Amino acid sequence: MPVDPVFAADLARDLDPEDYARVLRLFRQDVVQLSETITRAAAAGDDTGFRRAAHGLAGAAGAVGAKALETACRIVMSPRAVIADPNASAREIADLVAATLLDITAALARVEGQ
Amino acid sequence: MSEDAPGRVLIVEDQQAQAELARLFIGGLGYEARIASSAAQAHDIALEWRPDGILLDIELPDYNGLELLSRLRAAGVDAVVVVVTASASMELAKQAIRAGAEDYVVKPYNRDRLGVTLRNALEKRTLSRTRRALESALDDTQTRLEAAKAQLGKTSYAGFVGASPKMRAVYDTLQGVAASKASVFITGESGTGKELAAEALHKMSPRTNRTFVPLNCGAIPRDLLESEVFGHIKGAFTGATTDRVGAAKLADGGTLFLDEIGEMPLEMQVKLLRFVQTGTFSPVGSSKLEKVDVRFVCATNRDPLLEVEAGRFREDLYYRLYVVPLELPPLRDRSEDVLLLARHFLAQFAREERKGFTGFSAEAEMMLLAYPWPGNVRQLQNVVRNIVVLNAGPVVEAGMIPAPVNRGGAVPPPRPALVAAPVVAPVVPPVAAPIVIPPAPVAEEPVAPPLPVEPVAPVLVAPAPVVFAPAPAAPAAPAPAATLRVDPEQEILPLAEMERRMVLAALARTGNDIPRAASLLEVNPSTIYRKMLQWRKDGLIPAESRR
Repeated sequence: MPVDPVFAADLARDLDPEDYARVLRLFRQDVVQLSETITRAAAAGDDTGFRRAAHGLAGAAGAVGAKALETACRIVMSPRAVIADPNASAREIADLVAATLLDITAALARVEGQ
Repeated sequence: MSEDAPGRVLIVEDQQAQAELARLFIGGLGYEARIASSAAQAHDIALEWRPDGILLDIELPDYNGLELLSRLRAAGVDAVVVVVTASASMELAKQAIRAGAEDYVVKPYNRDRLGVTLRNALEKRTLSRTRRALESALDDTQTRLEAAKAQLGKTSYAGFVGASPKMRAVYDTLQGVAASKASVFITGESGTGKELAAEALHKMSPRTNRTFVPLNCGAIPRDLLESEVFGHIKGAFTGATTDRVGAAKLADGGTLFLDEIGEMPLEMQVKLLRFVQTGTFSPVGSSKLEKVDVRFVCATNRDPLLEVEAGRFREDLYYRLYVVPLELPPLRDRSEDVLLLARHFLAQFAREERKGFTGFSAEAEMMLLAYPWPGNVRQLQNVVRNIVVLNAGPVVEAGMIPAPVNRGGAVPPPRPALVAAPVVAPVVPPVAAPIVIPPAPVAEEPVAPPLPVEPVAPVLVAPAPVVFAPAPAAPAAPAPAATLRVDPEQEILPLAEMERRMVLAALARTGNDIPRAASLLEVNPSTIYRKMLQWRKDGLIPAESRR
């Protein structure tokens, strides 16, 4: 499950619905942008840019409980990680982003429907 | 930063969702928050806005958080820094702490985790500042000592009259806390001067040029209280024909005094708590938040902790407001101030009423001293005003003293103290004009009772039935139980008679110095005055001679 339902429920409880929805919308913006940055950096062989974008994506994913995406990003952002195929890692992350966005969009629809 | 003054927190985070989440969490904790999405922007905001705390992500788009921290410290920004880190960058977090960050919080964090970390860090900063302030104050020891010496000689302070140790403790607290923004919680029985203390705090504070707004929570109908505190907008309720500014807004920059806060309904306490926490409020009928800078002083004649335990006062509000407690002692606990106060009021009212009063007779003073003053200073003030208005002077005689004071101690027992009294040295300073009883032999031991109303046995020496072992080196020391010698063959006297003989003997021993005699007997001087008045009335001792 891309987004941890317990974490998401806690977050929804800690915030007003309106605020929660705003955080989810901002996450959606951030995550799309960062995923594109990772893909571009991988293609360009920009290791620093790749790791920095992965760091940002890990933080954003962690904030909304997207555990799988967060874990994948943390693995590649580590300075000690050896990334054999950055493009493959970027594709893997992009797939996780897509799955996460489905969950986030569904959660957003629920909140906005309240 | 203090508990009652929400601080400013700068969030340095380039990811919008993360930053917004932190802002919401921090805002929910009562802090004012701003976001910087780059190190350079954070640097500029920190210099201009001077936050109390910085929540710092290390990975930033322009330069990293460690370098930002170093630049901020070099620029003199002393905000407490909490580093936000992913678990993979713990080493960086540790580096940040070595570079001067206070703590770190690991992503992802929830509201409670962030709240605890941030509050602890800010609290440490407050303590550190306090320590620095204390060190600075200690550097000025000489000045402080001189101030303390001056304080010791004071018989009045900030509108209060009194030289008793308990009042000196009150003056010390007033002086120490006035300049702070810390909330002050005043307790004391009715008539002890709670509003006077609140006004004194305001006048001695840097807020003195702004408004002091007193609000008696017990005197305002509960339906109107919210409007009185927060104001209302036109149409908020029936009868709200215009906008009205409330006490909170009026006290902006000044002091809001919430008297009889124990009377505040619980539903209003919730709203007050929010106001105390955030400094923001909405007038009744308005959704717009207004922010003010108010110092809170509140007072009650109830025991606040008992009110909390009874569920009549919210515990969270109690802890918000009970930052600096100030207990005003009842007059019966500072009987050495009674004559000082009485003379002060006599001079004041004689001036106001254009009467030629010059003082009290010894008998009148004894009546004042013997009375327990359940209504405290306010009652004494009213009694003296009554005397001045109804009489001509120049000396206040016993016959001028109204009931019930002229009945001595024959009043209902006073209420017990609300809370434990501040610890003071058990000193009983001499009363300016001790009551004189007929001359007693003082030169030699054994000491005979000074008033031989009837043949009595000497009481502090044999053959009295119960005798304290002589302790000439330290006559004032209490006799431990082990030193009691009991002779079962001796005459047994009524306890009241024994008490009278003991008191008279103590007076003889001290040269009729009532406060010293009271100290020997470990009773309040007013107890001796009261008893003597009664014995005189009962013919057990002769009528007094004038000083």
